Amino acid sequence: MRINVNDLTFGYTQRPVLKNVTFSLTSGEFLSVVGKNGTGKSTLIKCLLKIVAVPNNTIFFDDIDINALKRFYHVGYVPQKSEITYEFPITVNEFLSYAYLKRKDAYFTSVINALDLNPIYNENINNLSGGQLQRVLIARALLNKPKLLILDEPTVSIDNESILALNNILKKLHDELTTIILSTHDLEFAREHSDCYLVLNEKYEHRFLSGKDYDDIIEYI
Amino acid sequence: MILLNIFKAIIEIDFFRNAIIAAIIIGVISPLVGTVVVIRRLSNIADTLSHFSLAGVVIGVFLAKILVPILKISIDPIFMGIIFSIGGTFLIEKIRNFYRNYKELSMAIIISLGVSLTGLFISITDGITTSFTTALLFGSILAVSLTDLILVLFFAICIFVFIVFYYRQIITLCFDETYARISGINVKRLQLAITIVLALTISIFIELVGVLLISTLLIIPVASSILIGKSFKNTIVISIIISMFSILVGFTASYYFLWPLGSTIALVNIILLFIIFFTLKIRDIRYKTKKK
Repeated sequence: MRINVNDLTFGYTQRPVLKNVTFSLTSGEFLSVVGKNGTGKSTLIKCLLKIVAVPNNTIFFDDIDINALKRFYHVGYVPQKSEITYEFPITVNEFLSYAYLKRKDAYFTSVINALDLNPIYNENINNLSGGQLQRVLIARALLNKPKLLILDEPTVSIDNESILALNNILKKLHDELTTIILSTHDLEFAREHSDCYLVLNEKYEHRFLSGKDYDDIIEYI
Repeated sequence: MILLNIFKAIIEIDFFRNAIIAAIIIGVISPLVGTVVVIRRLSNIADTLSHFSLAGVVIGVFLAKILVPILKISIDPIFMGIIFSIGGTFLIEKIRNFYRNYKELSMAIIISLGVSLTGLFISITDGITTSFTTALLFGSILAVSLTDLILVLFFAICIFVFIVFYYRQIITLCFDETYARISGINVKRLQLAITIVLALTISIFIELVGVLLISTLLIIPVASSILIGKSFKNTIVISIIISMFSILVGFTASYYFLWPLGSTIALVNIILLFIIFFTLKIRDIRYKTKKK
């Protein structure tokens, strides 16, 4: 999926969080959004997902203004783990099959197998480790057959083994030409995958850098 | 022997039969709606709407007294309850927009409006008796007429069909609004439908269990079952079992001791919840001692 963000300015109050953000991605590109806390990484994701109202003619998916889209097709989203506060008992199986919104089919089973969820299939989602929950949330995002996958800080509070598993999943999706936008503090993790970087800072001097300019990130951050 | 007597009463006594059918409907519908209320954290809205709906019922009685002699038509006050209950949800939303950080004030405002209108219309309507107001507050399930029962059954079927048809969407929305939105669920429309279902449930429950006990029946069985449920389905089944058990015990107790039915059912629910708290605490202590 091609993504164009064109002069996006957004704020919750008078003071903008994002100012004149512009970048574009072709299908299958991997973008990492990096920056300190409070520079607007999560807000950018909220804008891309239309969780907040964005101005017209600022964000385009495959050349269509997202405000003209009645619903998103093929967009997957993996939220920050801290946003997930389930307490109501629900198994992995139930959580994913309800989210699929239709009867289970071969694609559903292939996602479960791809993320190795069979051993925890009947576990209560509230008893999962950070890494396991991460895999469940990625599986849920994949159920939308995403051409654009957005991940918000996926490496926070998960162990090294889970990070390794996440690396493999993202590599595979990247190879399959899924456009991926990753918001992260983890520059090493970003470096593994990124074709380009969007650096956000407090002075609104955002930079769109290509993958080979990794060393310049620190300068702008 | 006790059950046999009750069974005989169900067959022989009309009002008892109506009451037990109404109670079974409550037993199934309340945990289903209650689950959505608990996950969406709408407990306070349930209480607010029940108080506001009460004002609707009392205004309905007032209008019925005026309109019947003039227009020669009769209005079922429950319809006014439904209108107020649904209207209340929109008012809450509108008032919320006036506050940025204290949005819950909107519910306190609507409760105040509901209670004050209720007080006013009770005092200016001729012929409202204390037993009528007590019934509104604590329910009068034994006084359910056949017409009321048909109305309750009709709305209960509507609510049940809605939940069965849209359960995937409802559960997905309940657990994660953002995901629901990007999966193509029309979140605004579904949210509105859920609120209308809640409003309908509250209005039909007012006559049966009373304003003060509605949230007990909606929430307590679910509050109990989430502590012991292993999966979503299992939790819903447990809450329906708890709800039905409370209703049956409530019926038996009120039949033999002449206790008020709504209060007895609510109390059994709460006792069960406390037994679960107690059992979990003991299990916790045992586990810790074993570990040491």
